[in-house]
Amino acid sequence: MVMSRLQKIPVVEEKKGNPLARVFDDLVRFCRSRSLFILHYCTGCGAIELPPAMTSRFDMERLGIQPMVSPRQADILLITGYVSIKTLKRVILTYEQMGSPKYVVGICSCTVNGGMYWQSYATAKKLDEYMPVDLYIAGCMPRPEAVISGLQKLMDRIKNGEADSWQDYYRNYDYYLGNQQKLFGEDWQTPTDIITEAKHYELMGEGTLGQHTRLLEQHQQPLEALEMRLGHKLKEPVE
Amino acid sequence: MAPIELFIELTLMPLIAFIVGMMMVLMMRRIAARIQRRIGPPFFQPLYDIVKLHGKRTQVSHGLIHDIGIVMAMGGYIAAETLLPVPGMNGIAEKGGLITLLYLMMIPSLGLALGVGQCANPNGSIGIARALTAMLAYDIPLVIVIFGVAYAAGTTNLVEIIATQQAGGFATWGVVEMPLLAIAGLIAMHASLGKQPFEIYIAPAEIATGPMVEMSGKYLGGLFVMQCFQLYTTSVLYVSLFLGGGTTWFDFLIKSFLVLAIPVSIAYLFPRYRTEDLLRLMWKWPVILGLIGLAFVM
Ligand code: SF4
Repeated sequence: MVMSRLQKIPVVEEKKGNPLARVFDDLVRFCRSRSLFILHYCTGCGAIELPPAMTSRFDMERLGIQPMVSPRQADILLITGYVSIKTLKRVILTYEQMGSPKYVVGICSCTVNGGMYWQSYATAKKLDEYMPVDLYIAGCMPRPEAVISGLQKLMDRIKNGEADSWQDYYRNYDYYLGNQQKLFGEDWQTPTDIITEAKHYELMGEGTLGQHTRLLEQHQQPLEALEMRLGHKLKEPVE
Repeated sequence: MAPIELFIELTLMPLIAFIVGMMMVLMMRRIAARIQRRIGPPFFQPLYDIVKLHGKRTQVSHGLIHDIGIVMAMGGYIAAETLLPVPGMNGIAEKGGLITLLYLMMIPSLGLALGVGQCANPNGSIGIARALTAMLAYDIPLVIVIFGVAYAAGTTNLVEIIATQQAGGFATWGVVEMPLLAIAGLIAMHASLGKQPFEIYIAPAEIATGPMVEMSGKYLGGLFVMQCFQLYTTSVLYVSLFLGGGTTWFDFLIKSFLVLAIPVSIAYLFPRYRTEDLLRLMWKWPVILGLIGLAFVM
């Protein structure tokens, strides 16, 4: 299902000609691959392997990978283990707030196919039904070496310009939204307006709009800025 | 001075400051890594970070003031660089003087406050409130120290202060003549860097990097550039006031990197104070040291 959709993404042929014309793009791609800020969404037990990968034993900073604390600053969303349905909502909110290009890395078998929580009613089984995943690192749980070698593979793909599955979220938003609606109910809505963003960044694809986005539009509440005022009362006093 | 010469100096000084500043960021991260028994980032890591952040596809702006705030944060330091004499180049240091420099060094915090205000993120607001409190804390010792040095030299002209120190040799360096002021200045400088014991407004574990929480893409990139300038400005100001500036680029750079290495090495050994502890500490020890130093100078 996903593969057939992925194959529909138009491939831009590189034009031969002035070899210096793409130098700037290459530089930016290289810098992107050498500077990755990770947001580790520690959902499951796999998170325990990240501290050794980051600190003195394996030191991810020598590859330019460092932890960041807010989704706006991050490039990689690390999902480290099973995602329960409640958690998945937060994961999606976090993912949509990150600035593109963004990459999702699923660590642990639980993100691949549900792992040992396959029979649980409360976990989302396959992460890539809800957001495009760039890389899976399987294992229950993968060792820090595996995490680092997986991230190195991601770095190679970024350098070659292959890791652009974040565009898939815009191009096939209907598919992802449909799966999300199946889990969270039909009135599911995030504060980020993906369709407007896709229009703005010219990432509209065949699958951006569809029956699920129509459903979303029917009951979408318009987003309003939070009201800021002093002395805000939480409850109206009872008379 | 011919206008074209002045123009070249005004362009070169911030540019050099940026490059040296990036090396200072690298040094800071390497020192942190060594203290934690890690290897640390590669040589060009600060450059990679800045290029990547500016090359992001999505740039989330929260409005006009957000944009202007970041420009102010960077511009304040860029203006400050032209007032800091480096070997061979004075820029407009003779006309500006120490007091203007002190004003310009406060602009970035105010710009940041404007920009963060529009993000309407509670963590950011807490962060910026703490940053301004911290500024209040370290500015009092800093002003005492700068007043003391200016009083001893009889001028607020940074070029003259450096020239007097260089003419008299090591014995007339600020750090030998006014050791108490030099110590107070070092503490104030450490606090103005916002590094660990005084890191109240970044505090990643508590308020999610405070002012930086809503920044993405080029906005965060702008703050990274600002950090380069900040490290450069603080250490070069200290070198000019107390270590006789630099006659050649070689000893100038060595002095500024060494001065910066002191607070940075201390920083990664300590956890963080609370806001009121920072205020109490800054208004007590550096101020007392500074006032005693001032009494000796007078
Ligand atoms: S794959 Fe194993 S270690 Fe990872 S989250 Fe699932 S159960 Fe935990």
